[in-house]
Amino acid sequence: MSSLTDRIRGIVAPASARSNAVPACPALPAHPAPADLSTLGGDWRGDCFVVDRRWAPSARYGKEAVGTFAQCLEEASAQAVLFAHDPLARAPFVFFDLETTGLSGGAGTQAFLVGCGRFDAEGGFVTRQFVLTRHVDERPLLETVAGELARAGALVTFNGKSFDASLLETRYLFHRLEWSVRCLPHVDVLHPARQFWKPVARPFSTSARSGFSRATADHTHPCSLIALERDILGIRRTGDVPGFEVPGRYFQFVRTGDADPLAAVLEHNRRDLLSLAALTARLFHLARSGPEAARDAREAIALGRVYARAGLDDRACDAFNHALDRCRSPRGAFDPQRIDALRLLASTRRRTRRHEEAASCWRALLEIRGCPPAILREATEALAIHHEHRVRDLPAARLFALQSLETVEGGRPSWTAAVQHRLTRIDRKMGATCEVGSLKFEV
Amino acid sequence: MLPARRPHTENALDAALDRLAGGPVDRPDTPDRHVTAMRRLPAVAAQFAPFPEGLDERLTRALATRGIQQLYTHQAEAIDHALAGRHVVVITPTASGKTLCYNAPVLHSILQDPSSRALYLFPTKALAQDQLAELQAMCETLAGTEVDGDRHGPPSPIPGIGVFTYDGDTPQDARRTIRSRAHLVLSNPDMVHSGILPHHPRWAKLFENLKYVIIDELHAYRGVFGSHLCNVLRRLRRICRHYGSNPVFLCSSATIANPRELAERLTEQPFELVERSGAPRGEKFFVFVNPPVVNHQLGIRRSYLGETRRIASEFLKRNLQLIVFAQSRLATEILTTYLKDDFEGVPGGPETIRGYRGGYLPLRRREIEKGLREGVVRAVVSTNALELGIDIGALDVAVLAGYPGTIASTWQRAGRAGRRTSRSAAVMVASSAPLDQFVVRNPSYFFEASPERALIDPDNLHILVDHIKCAAFELPFTDAEEFGRHSLQEILGVLSEQGLVHCTSGVWSWTNESYPADAVSLRSVSSDNFVVVDTTQEARVIGETDFTSGPTTLHPKAIYIVEGKLYQVERFDFEGRKAFVREIDCDYYTTAITHSKVTPIDVFDDEAVRTHGEVHVVSRVVGFKKIKFYTNENVGSGELDLPEQQMHTTAYWLTVPASVMALLPYAADDRRDGVVGLAFALKQVAQLLLMCDGHDIGISISGLGVRESGFGQGAPGVANPESRITDPDGVKVYVYDNYPGGIGFSAPLFQVHDELVRGTRRLIAECECESGCPGCVGPIGYTGPLAKIAALKILDLVLGAAEDTKETEDTKGAEHTKAIAGMEAEAL
Repeated sequence: MSSLTDRIRGIVAPASARSNAVPACPALPAHPAPADLSTLGGDWRGDCFVVDRRWAPSARYGKEAVGTFAQCLEEASAQAVLFAHDPLARAPFVFFDLETTGLSGGAGTQAFLVGCGRFDAEGGFVTRQFVLTRHVDERPLLETVAGELARAGALVTFNGKSFDASLLETRYLFHRLEWSVRCLPHVDVLHPARQFWKPVARPFSTSARSGFSRATADHTHPCSLIALERDILGIRRTGDVPGFEVPGRYFQFVRTGDADPLAAVLEHNRRDLLSLAALTARLFHLARSGPEAARDAREAIALGRVYARAGLDDRACDAFNHALDRCRSPRGAFDPQRIDALRLLASTRRRTRRHEEAASCWRALLEIRGCPPAILREATEALAIHHEHRVRDLPAARLFALQSLETVEGGRPSWTAAVQHRLTRIDRKMGATCEVGSLKFEV
Repeated sequence: MLPARRPHTENALDAALDRLAGGPVDRPDTPDRHVTAMRRLPAVAAQFAPFPEGLDERLTRALATRGIQQLYTHQAEAIDHALAGRHVVVITPTASGKTLCYNAPVLHSILQDPSSRALYLFPTKALAQDQLAELQAMCETLAGTEVDGDRHGPPSPIPGIGVFTYDGDTPQDARRTIRSRAHLVLSNPDMVHSGILPHHPRWAKLFENLKYVIIDELHAYRGVFGSHLCNVLRRLRRICRHYGSNPVFLCSSATIANPRELAERLTEQPFELVERSGAPRGEKFFVFVNPPVVNHQLGIRRSYLGETRRIASEFLKRNLQLIVFAQSRLATEILTTYLKDDFEGVPGGPETIRGYRGGYLPLRRREIEKGLREGVVRAVVSTNALELGIDIGALDVAVLAGYPGTIASTWQRAGRAGRRTSRSAAVMVASSAPLDQFVVRNPSYFFEASPERALIDPDNLHILVDHIKCAAFELPFTDAEEFGRHSLQEILGVLSEQGLVHCTSGVWSWTNESYPADAVSLRSVSSDNFVVVDTTQEARVIGETDFTSGPTTLHPKAIYIVEGKLYQVERFDFEGRKAFVREIDCDYYTTAITHSKVTPIDVFDDEAVRTHGEVHVVSRVVGFKKIKFYTNENVGSGELDLPEQQMHTTAYWLTVPASVMALLPYAADDRRDGVVGLAFALKQVAQLLLMCDGHDIGISISGLGVRESGFGQGAPGVANPESRITDPDGVKVYVYDNYPGGIGFSAPLFQVHDELVRGTRRLIAECECESGCPGCVGPIGYTGPLAKIAALKILDLVLGAAEDTKETEDTKGAEHTKAIAGMEAEAL
């Protein structure tokens, strides 16, 4: 027997690697005594261990009191549809965050802590956390969670669409339980948060879909929950558990039955829930109040995007115009915010068939010094189309097309070909007009 | 049939063969001649059987629409088994309609119950793509049959049958749709291992309703790959049990000695074997060509690539469509260039000569395959990439440049030529490698012997432990569960020491953040590897090599070849597992000189001069040689100082007793040469018997008074002049599995010991060189002048002095067959 064990040891942890490996956990009794969960301050409900907490409305969280968030949300709850992209989104909102045994997903990754938060009638913030204490209790836990979520009018998460919801769905599927949350409206605050508050200048591409994995959702990431609560809510966490430590603490609990290391994880999760709620309140409030409430051009632009996506074009244009007013740089100077606002304004106006106004935006873009070639290309292309087909000013269309060709250097060949095609067509039309003109003259 | 009325191709083929053989076909083997064998395989008529009773009528109607009115006997037999829920493996020659054997029961089951699901496993992505088109066409026909309507037709409409490939190329956003809509999932073992099983909850519908698992090209799953697949299937069946399904396995295999045994070992289920093909076959000629000796003393033959070119030209000239198989990517490119030079028509016209190998972009590959099917491409030069069942139509001739290494693979490649009714030919051109020379000089070995056995060792601890981790991640183990032959509970115990799993209330759950399947590659034992970084311009990764062969192929100054381009290794970062290379233009390649030392640890079985057991192998690359292209001249060498590599593995070894060594009437140096030469030849024969690549086994000698001796790639060990006294325990020649933990080669070698030693003797004795050549005991310079004689003497003494050599010569073939038959009997 032992010889097999030794051979397996040699394979699992070669001698060279063994010395610097994570200290192996000490030999344990196969069935440790039932875990003492008293340090977590919760109680058993059936097979499920539940921890309830409440922040009073008067409790301060960063710059504001908890009650203020509750009030903002209540007043602005109708705005949820804008962020959920779902007309059925409504209060009550359930804020939702998981702590998991890993980030990779798959059948072996579990949610050992399901955190739910909501505001109560008095304006207090209530959290309810479901803790998985034993592997075998997962099924009853999931059933209880489903009951908890059934009352929600919308689910609010941070990066939950790609992570929390999909991971939990796997757990339900694993136990052959119905995943009712699929039908629940879902506001993922990560996506708007990125547009409203991500500090670095975004690239000018319209498809800014950089992969934001849970792994990068740590302190260091400029758009992590922690970074946002620091920048937007003015909160600095102390003694917080870094995300990468979370699974290890849970495994330690599983092996030893000692719940102490978990207490800080639960606290971390509760703070995540409250910060999420506070950020959501801020978002909904902005959407309700309009661009006047925006802190800066960035927020106004992001707001305009939210409106535009919901088809509220007038409000969107208003927000973009507002953003242009807030740009402090002189006209013609390089300013990413101005470029962004002009582009979005132009495309919104074009969509609403206000072509002349759209064209003026494109022209304004061309005046900006150092405007990136991709955007110059877009603007000259749009102006060439505008003058060829709508204004029917062929010489102007030709000039824009030529200008477009100048910016094409380094662009894709297909683009160059398209512009040249346009030029040929314009030239043909112009030639035809000239011929007609000269014929007339001769006659 | 009168020649005048025969189709043009047959006349052309006869003419080409006549020219090649310089005489009548169908004559006895002539080992010394240029053409050593010319066999005629007669045409076989088709044998038909009706559709099995109970096969869905909608399916038989759809098949009729596609021109299939009745089945070949083997198809009917296989479908019968499948419908009755018996696992079945079908041996199928090329173009015998194997896909119907499994598509029919699968489609039947979906027609009967639209919730049914099937999983197809192909060894490569390209094969899955190939099948996708066929299955989709079949499903369209099925849907069309329904539209036509029929008064007998059942009232329920035919469901839209979803057929999808699911592999590494499947876009992320398409995956959810596929999971919910696919009735038939076409995938590969690697994807099942890392993309499907770990996410089984999302595939619940598939696993709940899985009726059939199809394993195509079963013979591809031998050695390490097969050992992994067996464990993947253990995991698959475990998941199926969890969801309450119990799929039937339908396998197809090329001709190998033990298809049923392989299927049963892979799936751990009892199998029915369908081996008699009912498909028709046209007449076929099989020709063995040995390029003539140009230098008798050195045993050097005319270049086999040049010979291949000449032979291919004979067929091309007569407008016969052909495929040329080369042994390496480099050889493929060289032959393509030769043939293009000879035959390429007008510039800008359609390319009639094409190359084909791994590394070409999929689009180009599809274009070449289409060109072949349509006849625009007249010749294709390919690596083994076209050996598996990619549809390229049937060609007139297959030319094999070099012996493919195994009987099974040779038949498989030869099968690429041959239509169902007309005649075809296959020509094998031997290179000067010992294996090639053995086969070409002993045609009866090839034509009369059974093909090789495919071996796997799924309980190799390295492999098993990796899959137990994956399985624990997928589904917690209970304390009563088993997995593989070793004690699961003991293995889980060690894993829990490392914090990977934890046991509570009799359930082992996964307690680690990692995703274990990511760390396990099915194509090697250890997932550790070296990457090759090209720094010619901006740094980019151009290849990778598994850990064991890293030092031998990527040592400093090594020439690394990829897609015919040469690179030189400038820096080898062993710790960082990287090799930095730069493009170079040179006319040589390199082979490493490896010294390895084998120490026995445990003896499993021991009898007279043969032993097998566990060994410890320490190997070190100590130098390299530069070998000139085409002439194979040694044009330089270098010394290297690289870290040792160690592994535990299994080995077979032959002991030459000290008493035997003492009987040899030669000087110590010559005795040494004899053993070295013997080992050189022994490795080739072992490879032949094991159906493995040269890289799969290593060889080492101990007890010669040579401190370290071995030759992974070439030269013998350096003799230590001070200790030329033979070890009192005798001289040992080890043949070890070149994979940590071993993959099961040593026990079979132990069993066929007699055949191995006799085969080695025959290889050396029958070689016509004077005193050693690449075809027997190694080239001149590798061993001394008496190597050949000394090796023969040792072998004779080992085999027993009483043996009458002359007599055994005559009965060799029969004995071999007997030995193989014995192996088979044991296997079953």
